[in-house]
Amino acid sequence: MDPILTTNILNVVYEVSTLAVVVLGLAVVFGLLGVMNLAHGEFVMIGAYCAFFVQTQNLPFLAAVPVALLVCIVLGLAVERILVRPLYARPFDTLLATWGLSMLLREGVEAVYGRGFKSVAVPLTDSIDVLGADYPSYRLLLAAVSIALVAGLVWWFVRSATGRRIRAVVNNPELAGSVGIPVTALARNTFVFGCCLAALSGVLLAPLMPVQPMLGLDFILKSFFVLVVGGLGSLVGLISGSGVIGGVESIVSAFFDRTYGYTTVLIIAILFLWLRPNGLFPRT
Amino acid sequence: MQKIYKPISRRHFVAGALGSGAAVAAPAILTGAQAAGELKMATFYALSGPGSLFGPTQTAVTKLAVDEINAGGGIGGRKVTVIPSDGGAPPAEAAKAAIRLMLRDKVDIVVGSHDSAVREAIVAALKGRVPYVYTPLYEGGECNPNVFVTADTPQQQVQPSITWLAKTLGAKSYYLIGNDYVWPRKTNEQAKKYIAAAGGKVVGEEYVPLGAPNKFEDAVTRIKAKKPDLVVITLVGGDNINFNRTFAGFGLDKSIKRISYLLEEQTLAGIGDKSSNGLYSAMSYFENEKSEANAKFKAAYRKAAGAKAPPLAMIGVDTYGGVNCAKALIEKAGGTDAAKLMAAASNLNYRTPTGTGVMTNRHVVKDMYLAECKGTSFDIVETFKAVAHGQTCS
Repeated sequence: MDPILTTNILNVVYEVSTLAVVVLGLAVVFGLLGVMNLAHGEFVMIGAYCAFFVQTQNLPFLAAVPVALLVCIVLGLAVERILVRPLYARPFDTLLATWGLSMLLREGVEAVYGRGFKSVAVPLTDSIDVLGADYPSYRLLLAAVSIALVAGLVWWFVRSATGRRIRAVVNNPELAGSVGIPVTALARNTFVFGCCLAALSGVLLAPLMPVQPMLGLDFILKSFFVLVVGGLGSLVGLISGSGVIGGVESIVSAFFDRTYGYTTVLIIAILFLWLRPNGLFPRT
Repeated sequence: MQKIYKPISRRHFVAGALGSGAAVAAPAILTGAQAAGELKMATFYALSGPGSLFGPTQTAVTKLAVDEINAGGGIGGRKVTVIPSDGGAPPAEAAKAAIRLMLRDKVDIVVGSHDSAVREAIVAALKGRVPYVYTPLYEGGECNPNVFVTADTPQQQVQPSITWLAKTLGAKSYYLIGNDYVWPRKTNEQAKKYIAAAGGKVVGEEYVPLGAPNKFEDAVTRIKAKKPDLVVITLVGGDNINFNRTFAGFGLDKSIKRISYLLEEQTLAGIGDKSSNGLYSAMSYFENEKSEANAKFKAAYRKAAGAKAPPLAMIGVDTYGGVNCAKALIEKAGGTDAAKLMAAASNLNYRTPTGTGVMTNRHVVKDMYLAECKGTSFDIVETFKAVAHGQTCS
């Protein structure tokens, strides 16, 4: 196969899978709790800064994973208790509150690290020969980890007892509570879990992007496009949305250029909002 | 609820009118006193927005320049006070601020380091009534009256560097990539001219939107397919970092050289030492420049701004020359009269971090440096003396 074509195909796989893993946390929190967390991008940003912090401490890259999880568990618990829990079932207020939170987090990180670009070294710098095309191994690994994460989560959600309880709570919180499912704790854990997923994607992506306090904003818009196309609140929707948005953008970009890629994505998002506002796989 | 605004009574109105009548008459009486009074310098630096990364350096370097000037007796005997405004604001906001500074604060001169959209708004607001010094590198072509440009122009950045790289590296084929706005397109116009002059060929040219969360896997794959000898980069900020990291990530840095025209110390720190192999930059300032003037400038800066001083990088350091250019202009013209300033700008010498700038056609003939990245610092490989700016303002 033509190595350039292979590279282009791998680019599409890479873009779709990394997009899915960034949106995963947002989709979990929105789909299950109905909480639109506008600070989701900032949790990604914090994850990326954890990778940078670990590097400044001369620790191996993977040490960033527990650090980021710890930071986001603490942060997520506090945010859920103080900000999100009092505002459940008030989606617009949650939107405003988390938007405010996103600003606070950006300014907070800026106060510590400043506005300058930080660079996180890529842990694997070599490349792997895939069907005659040299592809950077870290990107391949990242795509593989992303796919595994999404698949693992889907499997867990469908098969595990906790997954069943979450689905019960989503369906009917009062009934779920009356049969003894701890609704409050489950909601809290789900929110924190979403934050952790964001932070984890931030750690993984940190070596491949300029780390700076505003980087979360770059993710939030495209994440919304994915949810618009895929439909809110189902994992199948998330995967198909990432596939459509990430796939179309990178394929069009490969054939023409980025400007056409963005335009096509915008047109798709507008068409969906107009003709199919519930997305491909709406929650039934 | 308490009323915030009181309706103006007729008596207040009459008093106000009398007061402003007196204010209009005042200059005739105060001329003598004002000459010895302070000189108000308005600055437009990026305090917010994407350029705000450079704001701390701009502010700190300007403070150094102004403190030095005041320690030496000010400008024409007048102490300088700085009134800061946000050059990172939307153009319409910057224009409002400029009008306020001109009418209410009665500033004597404006110094700005910001993008061209804001520059055009400020120029339109000031209408030449207040002198305006513009400092960061830009696309050229600013010839409005009473505007003085100390910026690097595309001719200065591109002509010597492309010619040198074509000769030294033997580069024959070129790929151009930039953000989609006026500066990259104008710079590439120049680049294409000098590439053709050096017998080279442009094998690809593409632009990505400014301010979008761009990824560069597709562009790098296209470049890989075209196999150029040199990639000419006019991406800015985060895009410049992202592109160069992706480029090196795909291993292209081993076989293809790159030159970026907006690459200073802060952006290079973001690119990182693993991705800067074979990358060049061409500008009128690098912290590593070895002249005695620069050593003195750096020492003075460290002493004034302390250990945690914002980094010295081209966007930011440019304001030092800007403030000193303002001083030289006003002193040579003997005041801030527009016609006299315009006359004074011809063959005007002023102090820059690396020596002396010479203004002709209200732009600056200056030394340019070509630097190769070594890890996260710059190694100047060639100095081009007194490079023409290619501007024809009368």
